[in-house]
Amino acid sequence: MSERDVTRPNDTGRNIPPVAISETSTLVNPTGSWKYIMPRYEDRVAPCNAGCPVGIDIEGYMYLIRQGRLREAADLLVRENPMPAVTGRVCHHPCEDSCNRASLDEAVAIHSVERRLGDMILAAPPPPAPERTRTETVAVIGSGPAGLSCACFLTRMGYGVTVFEAAAEAGGMLRLGIPEYRLPRAILDRQIERIQAAGIDLRTSTRVGTDVPWTELDEFDAVFVAPGAHVGKDSRIEGAEGVTAIRPGLEFLKEVNAGERPDLGERVVVVGGGNTAMDCARSALRLGADVTVLYRRTPREMPAIPQEVREAKQEGVEFEFLAAPIGVELDGGDFTGITCQRMELGEPDESGRRRPVPIEGDVFTVTADTVLTAIGEDCDLSFLPDEVHTTWGLVEVDALGESTSAPVFAGGDVVDLPRSVADALGGGKRAAIGIDHFLREKAGEDVTEVPLDALRFGGGNVSALRYTKDEDPIPREAPVNETVTWDQMNPNHFHTVPRHEDHFHDAVDLRSAFGETNFGLTQKEAIEEAERCLNCGVCNRCELCLIFCPDMAISRREDGGFEIDMRYCKGCGLCAAECPRGAVTMTREGI
Amino acid sequence: MKKVMIGNHAVSWGVLRSRVEVISAYPITPQTQIVEALSDMVADGSLPAQYIKVESEHSAMAACIGASIAGTRTFTATSAQGLALMHEMLHWAAGGRLPVVMANVNRAMAPGWNIWTDQNDSLSQRDTGWIQLYCETNQEVFDTTIQSFKLAEKVNLPVMLVLDAFFLSHTSEPVDVTEQEDVDRFLPRREATFKMDTSDPHAFGALVRPDAYTEMRWHQQEAMREARDVFRQVEDEWEAITGRRYGAVEAYRTEDADLLLVTSGTITSTARTVVDERRAAGEKVGLLKVKMFRPFPTDELRSHLGGVDRVAVLDRNISPGHGGIFAEETRSALYDVPPEDRPILFGYVLGLGGRDVTPGVINDIIDNTRAKNQPEREDLWVGVEL
Repeated sequence: MSERDVTRPNDTGRNIPPVAISETSTLVNPTGSWKYIMPRYEDRVAPCNAGCPVGIDIEGYMYLIRQGRLREAADLLVRENPMPAVTGRVCHHPCEDSCNRASLDEAVAIHSVERRLGDMILAAPPPPAPERTRTETVAVIGSGPAGLSCACFLTRMGYGVTVFEAAAEAGGMLRLGIPEYRLPRAILDRQIERIQAAGIDLRTSTRVGTDVPWTELDEFDAVFVAPGAHVGKDSRIEGAEGVTAIRPGLEFLKEVNAGERPDLGERVVVVGGGNTAMDCARSALRLGADVTVLYRRTPREMPAIPQEVREAKQEGVEFEFLAAPIGVELDGGDFTGITCQRMELGEPDESGRRRPVPIEGDVFTVTADTVLTAIGEDCDLSFLPDEVHTTWGLVEVDALGESTSAPVFAGGDVVDLPRSVADALGGGKRAAIGIDHFLREKAGEDVTEVPLDALRFGGGNVSALRYTKDEDPIPREAPVNETVTWDQMNPNHFHTVPRHEDHFHDAVDLRSAFGETNFGLTQKEAIEEAERCLNCGVCNRCELCLIFCPDMAISRREDGGFEIDMRYCKGCGLCAAECPRGAVTMTREGI
Repeated sequence: MKKVMIGNHAVSWGVLRSRVEVISAYPITPQTQIVEALSDMVADGSLPAQYIKVESEHSAMAACIGASIAGTRTFTATSAQGLALMHEMLHWAAGGRLPVVMANVNRAMAPGWNIWTDQNDSLSQRDTGWIQLYCETNQEVFDTTIQSFKLAEKVNLPVMLVLDAFFLSHTSEPVDVTEQEDVDRFLPRREATFKMDTSDPHAFGALVRPDAYTEMRWHQQEAMREARDVFRQVEDEWEAITGRRYGAVEAYRTEDADLLLVTSGTITSTARTVVDERRAAGEKVGLLKVKMFRPFPTDELRSHLGGVDRVAVLDRNISPGHGGIFAEETRSALYDVPPEDRPILFGYVLGLGGRDVTPGVINDIIDNTRAKNQPEREDLWVGVEL
């Protein structure tokens, strides 16, 4: 036995590790038994999707762009919106108003990304026409956004579709009402050609009720009524009857948009604060007139798209707020201008906006050569049979566009208030679903009720992809049809990034030019803008849950998603708290 | 490549050259520029590392510990109150035998609130098990940063490199920045002797019973003992590449001296000029610079100080209720020197909270040390106005 040194540890034969590391694997300790709540991946709905009247999976195509899958992004977009090159230009983009990113810095410029994808689609050859799988045929009255949308979705569902258009060319208000500088005709033509190429029988210069009697539509199995609103509201200016210098703005727009260049004189007054008023003012400006917009409320109450108002101002349109035309100024029988009543804002009316009330005795004169009235449009529904009920000048329909007299359906401006291109497109889509369901039921197919709530993005418009149950290019984890609010997200992981604004034509040489004023974003900018999307409510594989899990209970699946090993998940909730998008939920279920 | 830079950026450049993989830090004056420069380097891609922002120094060190367990090369920097807040985690890093490297910019502890230099922050962490290296120049700061990783990773102990607030941290000097390929030859990628393996998970920092705890501490102490030799080898290798070495202690003009000053940090530079002047006047005065505080270079101190008549230790710190810490440690090291060779030791406390230590002050100390037969007390306070 050797001499032992009592001043040194006697560790011969013992294998003490250099650090305090457990001798056994921690896998023997299934800490999952501690939990009383557990996480679950649940994809929710981004507020842009819920806020889109068309029912576009905006968040979805942003996700695909982020992954560099541009073509698939464009496909997903056009699945829900048949004319993105149009809406990318003229939509009032309520999606951006609901964008959660606005709470972080600025909303994603969704319209610019949509426009870029829309132009990309137009540049590619059209897809093959969908197969005709149904024997039934549908008549569509009107080739505006509502009619074409309904026709497009019906052809995709396999129906034969005939579109009746009163005007010489298809497009409805897109062609007649919206000026070229906002929507170039080449873009509109190509967009319509693509929809038509799906096998639609388009009959232009054919007005239902005169060229084709309503009764002739009996040969179709269903009818979709979407003729639009083309009758300018009466200006109610005293003494205006027979004064040719006072005319409906929409009529003027139709002339200009048809290529005419009417002489308005030097001074033009536009009455109204909506998009038609802005279109009239900016078109009149381009014909060389000095233009003043007369609006009876304040800028805050204007229904026009704010960007349109900004551009009108930049181009030199003058605005006179809190002013209403009440009379005509004549000099020896010649029209010289209008008498205006100064207004002030009173109590809110049924629209929630403060009602303008006259300030007694405060009357002034505005000189003008022409007055364009743009205070709203009415629908001409005289061609409809009595069984199709109308209320306040609008067709009565249910949630899927079905009128009181099946198989007549309706949508677009004859149904909606307020009206927009996006609402018309969305209404066309809903009606296509309604017609499909109606015809299947009629054919004796075993169809259950349309699960309307499940088809909607959150509380928003319906998804065609959900209705047809086609494959979603984005793998969804246990989707829940609820819209994610900003307070359900964790902003700590986001960085502020300035929004890309559209490039605009220089305002200096706008007069007399009807070329497009907004050039949108470059491809690179649009992709960067898509990368600003927070993918609210949807797992975009950012991996933060995996990084933050203190038990390393989260791992990646082969398909890119994540799975949680519940044997080790202690239910601490860090993954749910750290998830930037609110795509992880803590639940008691299954415990 | 020579660059003029402040001491803080000499640290940053040393970290860049060391190809650190994870940095976690919380800002604090006078350290902030170190991690500011590093975050820039990470942001512009010149340093491909993870920069983990945290809400406190305690978390910064915790993040470094986790990253180090995962096998990465890890760095943080702090100062004064920040270092104090890390205290618990300093034990975890050392006890966990993790080669984390930290730069501590010496700053006086509050209250009274003070941002200037003083060694009490780092010396208060004496017994946490960290190697401590005190630097004198920005060049030494750069070199020591790189050497620290090599030393730490060889002995599996964390290293704290220390530099004076403002006198080094914010003062520009020319620094020869060693080229990347030379540093790469000196400091290859870290090969962790043990690390977390997610396919075979184990608990780190697990319970250790009385039957093994002492053995673990023994191993830690053995590593500290080993660190003295390893530091010498590290310096040999660095000198072969750069021609520069500093030593755990540096003897400056100590030959035949009857009085030696013992200094650390930037006071050393001032003391060098005083020694030069005194030597020029024919006086046998020398200087011993202590760079390594832990492990304490006991043998070197004994061999250099044994046989000298008088020793004056300059402490920019105070252990309240005892004395200057370098003086007390030196006194303890000299106990085993035979009585006839044991010098009379004068322990001076000075320069606290960043007060300037001028050549005049050091001349006064030399005069006082020569004039007295014995120090009146164990702690002699210099320049105190009461």
